[in-house]
Amino acid sequence: MRESLMGKYVGARVNRVEDKRLLAGAGRYIDDVSVPDMLHAAFLRSPYPHAEIGSIDLTAAQALPGVHLILTGEDLKSRTYPFFGTLNFPRFYQPTFWALAVDRVRHVGDPVAIVVADSRRLAEDACELIEVDYEPLPGIATVEQALDADRAVVWPKSKTNLHYQASERFGDVDAAFAAAERVIVETFDQHRHSNQPMEARGIVAEVDPSSGEMTIHASTQSAHMVKWCIALLTGRRPLRRVVRQMISQRDHTKAIFKGMADYLKATPAMVAALKEMAPVMLKQNVTNVERTKAMNGAFVGLMGRDPKTLPAALAGDVGGAFGAKTAVHREDVAVCAAALELGRSVKWIEDRNEHLTVGSQAREESVDLAVAVRHDGTILGMRARLTIDSGAYPGFPYGGAVIAARLARTMFPGPYRLPALEFHSRIITSNKATYLPYRGPWEIETFVRERMLDVVARQLGLSRAEIRRRNLIGDDELPATMVTGPALDVRMSARRVFEKAMDVTGADDWEKTRAEAFAAGRRIGMGFATYIEAAPGPPGYMDNVGPGFSAMVDREPINAVLEADGTVTLHTQQVTHGQSHETTLAQLAADQLGVPMEVIRISYGNTRTAPFGLVGTAGSRAATFASGAVLLATKGLRDRIVDLAADLLEAAPSDIVVEDGRIHVAGTPSIAVTLADVAHAAREKGDEARGAARGDEAIRVSELFDGGAGGWSGATHVCFVEIDLDTGLVKIPRYVVVEDCGEIINPAVVDGQIRGGVAQGIGAVLYEKSTYDDQGQFQAGTFMDYLIPTAMEIPDIEIHHVETPSDVFANYRGVGEGGAIGAPAALCNAIEDALSDLGVRITEQHLPPARILELAGVIPTLSPSR
Amino acid sequence: MPAFCYHRPATVEEAVGLLAEYGSDAKVLAGGQSLVPLLALRLSHPEHLVDIGRIDGLAAVDDGPAGFTVGAAVRHADVELSPVTGRAAPLVAAAMPHIGHRAIRNRGTVCGSLAHADPAAELPAVALAADAEMVVRSASGERTIPAADFFLGYLTSALDETELLTAVRFPSWPRSTGGSVAEVSRRHGDYALVGLAAVVGVGDGGRVERAALSFFGAGATPVRVTEAEQVLVGEHPDPAAFAEAADVVTKSIEPPGDNHATAAYRAHVAGVLTRRCLAEAAGRATGGGA
Amino acid sequence: MTADRHPLSMTVNGNRIDLVVESRRTLAEILREDLGLTGTHLACEHGVCGACTVALDGKAVRSCLMLALQADGGAIETVESLCDDDGALGPLQQAMADSHSFQCAFCAPGFLMTAHCLLAEDRDIGPTRDEIREELSGNLCRCTGYQSIVDGVERAVTALVEARNA
Repeated sequence: MRESLMGKYVGARVNRVEDKRLLAGAGRYIDDVSVPDMLHAAFLRSPYPHAEIGSIDLTAAQALPGVHLILTGEDLKSRTYPFFGTLNFPRFYQPTFWALAVDRVRHVGDPVAIVVADSRRLAEDACELIEVDYEPLPGIATVEQALDADRAVVWPKSKTNLHYQASERFGDVDAAFAAAERVIVETFDQHRHSNQPMEARGIVAEVDPSSGEMTIHASTQSAHMVKWCIALLTGRRPLRRVVRQMISQRDHTKAIFKGMADYLKATPAMVAALKEMAPVMLKQNVTNVERTKAMNGAFVGLMGRDPKTLPAALAGDVGGAFGAKTAVHREDVAVCAAALELGRSVKWIEDRNEHLTVGSQAREESVDLAVAVRHDGTILGMRARLTIDSGAYPGFPYGGAVIAARLARTMFPGPYRLPALEFHSRIITSNKATYLPYRGPWEIETFVRERMLDVVARQLGLSRAEIRRRNLIGDDELPATMVTGPALDVRMSARRVFEKAMDVTGADDWEKTRAEAFAAGRRIGMGFATYIEAAPGPPGYMDNVGPGFSAMVDREPINAVLEADGTVTLHTQQVTHGQSHETTLAQLAADQLGVPMEVIRISYGNTRTAPFGLVGTAGSRAATFASGAVLLATKGLRDRIVDLAADLLEAAPSDIVVEDGRIHVAGTPSIAVTLADVAHAAREKGDEARGAARGDEAIRVSELFDGGAGGWSGATHVCFVEIDLDTGLVKIPRYVVVEDCGEIINPAVVDGQIRGGVAQGIGAVLYEKSTYDDQGQFQAGTFMDYLIPTAMEIPDIEIHHVETPSDVFANYRGVGEGGAIGAPAALCNAIEDALSDLGVRITEQHLPPARILELAGVIPTLSPSR
Repeated sequence: MPAFCYHRPATVEEAVGLLAEYGSDAKVLAGGQSLVPLLALRLSHPEHLVDIGRIDGLAAVDDGPAGFTVGAAVRHADVELSPVTGRAAPLVAAAMPHIGHRAIRNRGTVCGSLAHADPAAELPAVALAADAEMVVRSASGERTIPAADFFLGYLTSALDETELLTAVRFPSWPRSTGGSVAEVSRRHGDYALVGLAAVVGVGDGGRVERAALSFFGAGATPVRVTEAEQVLVGEHPDPAAFAEAADVVTKSIEPPGDNHATAAYRAHVAGVLTRRCLAEAAGRATGGGA
Repeated sequence: MTADRHPLSMTVNGNRIDLVVESRRTLAEILREDLGLTGTHLACEHGVCGACTVALDGKAVRSCLMLALQADGGAIETVESLCDDDGALGPLQQAMADSHSFQCAFCAPGFLMTAHCLLAEDRDIGPTRDEIREELSGNLCRCTGYQSIVDGVERAVTALVEARNA
């Protein structure tokens, strides 16, 4: 089925709906939320990477006028439930911990106390008056330290700092290595860096003083996630009261169980997954009793809660996230606990120093890799070992590191023929801030694979294009299956995209160009990287991450509503934070309905009105899932509109035309009805015509989209550099992206996503590092230390599109993450190319000027390796 | 930021009176572009701030026989955009585009930068290279401090806690003298990893009569490398002489290492900048202009 | 200690404002919290990111790096002043919207005010693309890679130069 959207909006460079508000300075970001009688919170944080907390003296701080409440970790034990791990994997330890540190701090910035006062400045004054007696412990700052049995463990109950291990073999790995003519081995490092959206985190816990009801305003990627995580972890009461409440609302309790049973009945994939996981879950429950108790306590607490006391969550305008706002953070729980305690609204806005120190750190990974190849460059197999430093506290509701490890393992073959892969994963814990997902959380697979392809090409004396051509899967081999499981359908265009990139850049003539430049004393280089991205991926893709994941997340809801006044509202659980959903989803709806875009309003970020979904906006889901849901829901709405209009116009529905919001019989445009007329007719006619309409709504249609046929997006990045070997400065005179994301809804939005991602990848390589010293002391707490590139560092980025024609429904694929996935590899490859005559091999991702000169042998090597 | 008492004196006398009264409990606020971030991050806790931004006599730039004098309330942008600067103090003019970004230069002051004595900042090194004098007032009177005696350590100047830097005076720019400022920074507008303010004066015989090599980002204070300067004096200003001076710089300078660059990197780049700046400065000296 | 407070008079977007403010509060805080002008954003509060840029007497300044009291007697313009009287986007804002300059747009007010001050400069020919890049380099954006922002300012410059020459 192909819904032919021949309308005027989809595919056009439509101006953004949100700009009328945001460019006027009229946005409503989290710090713009002000509610009556609001207090302000600040956190006292640990200056030590690792320390026992002796005593905490609050006397002077509590005496400061304007201070209303100070809570410590000990205080939270009776008021909140602890954070616990929600995932189930074999050989996986998930610690249980509180929103504020109890007994021990585990990284610089670990929150020790929350102070609530009349103003933020007073709360900060009070923080300076709190006296904490710390007994410093040695910090774990590197993987080597984490695995050193003589060193401290970050989580004593686990006995080790190694919290996850997995080993898997796909294909006949031994045979591949036995048949190899060469085995090439290398280790690649990626440094800890950070999402750093321009708006840091923030939350306003608004408490209605009369009812005690709480509305959570949050800067988040998913409002429902905030609502349910806060509901789960706050409002703790003694167990006997929980049980009493469960008994008093017996029908509600029964309904919860019935709802779960109904869901499982309707989702056989989930039942199968649960069966598969049962032994793993059981083992975790037995071996990690602390977690089991915490989890059971929280879920029982949630069930034994008067549903009227559940919070609502609201996301307004969100100033960027890039994965940093997919989690509920410890501060969020502390703020809500404080607000509930006081019965007053409390605001906390994270400042930049906090955000750099604790708010979003990512990407600290390394891979040991062995590649079995033939002399002609044919890859026979790989052995890889991924190690992730996940920091001290896992994210909630799930730790980003294990998801990244699962995704990186799944995507490791990329668009290449890889018959055999052995993949080991290790996650260690350390005295660093929480590891969070960052734009393309599995990016390490592309960095390592594309880096290694260059290494192999040089070792074998092949050109870098040649080795890719030898191994890239071409159109004639599709459909195919990656050795790790996912299916590659006929639209997987990596080979064609690659060839176009070579054409556009003249890459095949590069060796000559570079030789001429070298001869003229100019040190230039070119590098490329090819990847595919599962956005959305084939059906069931997320089951590669964990059993049952697809059944859980591949259901994107949209409610399409014709309002009484003839406008249309789309309710979505997506939360735009720069992706322009108010524009792109409206483009789809307007074309489907045959109305001007101004008629459409996108309603998001409000748990009171948005359909349920915990994922929110992540993984390019607006383009890949919400798009299809919008098409389905607006198709249903259009059918109802046409039926009603046919009645009004006394014509057959098949003769009805909707154009520019006017509805008429084909051939007689002068006699028309409007959407408002239809809305009126629907309300007159009653339930049958109105669908699930509520209140003043005329018609409501709800649809879920499961991702349909899915598909891959992908790109080849080609980066050109010029290096000054006097100073180590790297310039990027040209950067080209050739990509395929299927049908494009709005080219300006697509290009913007790509460019932004590339800029972050360039930043990672040349500028950005969340630096810790070897004791675990954090050293990049300001924007003078953590360097976000400016307009002077990021070049114009040239973009070419490849679109593979297809009849697939909702053939829109994601571009949110790809820019950041391809850029680090392409740039590092270009830098190595520029230094190729010096025999330089680049095995790390962070290459500031001093490191460039070290690699080139201009100065002695003193920089830390990661 | 932490609480403090704010004072806005109308005269220098009033300002130094406040400094005499509060001593080390007070800090002088001029443009605020260095002080306010420290306050915002709660890294500094002064009890009193003395805002000198409204003191009339301090807002003037004067190009007189005594030299080019910049008052304590004069902002970078005023100096940058003044048509006089390029002629009267070409080294200052050359430094301006390197200082932060436009919005910083619109508020930050020249004297504030000097008094802050950040060794990675441009102007302290410029003052040192150009033999500037600091005009300093306190309740007990006025004194002048040569730049060479002014920068004592990291963020530490010779100013007593009761003293106010009221102006900096750059001596008249000698003829047949060229200046050049260059730096390497991680990003455009950042503090330099290492930078150089260089002056070359060429005599009638075409030989170097005077050379100043003043580095920033190369130690706890701006650093003059006199051994390298001496290498140049008496030589023809040619690439061989510049290269020799650069070698001396790289060998004798002892810059710090930090997360942005190692000491070895800074020493190497100091040599690179020596060659580049000397060539530019000598070109300007012999080209007749600045 | 009791808060140290002083009178503050300034004009903000053409309106005379008289307040008594605590000395430690920044101009940005007063604009946002006391005057409700939340278009001015705070993203680093240590003077690097430029999100809080406003115009003081026509010049771009960082409102997080100024005590409000330092603005006493000054004329402040914020992003809200760029709109037309009827609240529609002004020419600079429209040029940026037409260029899809921003995504999350948290940085937008700072860029707009930096560009506004640049465009207001009295110069015969508009700044070049390279000059625009340099002038904007004191403002950080994390979403766009800057190209679209430079495009937007260039578009506004072109329109302005055309209007001047018309």
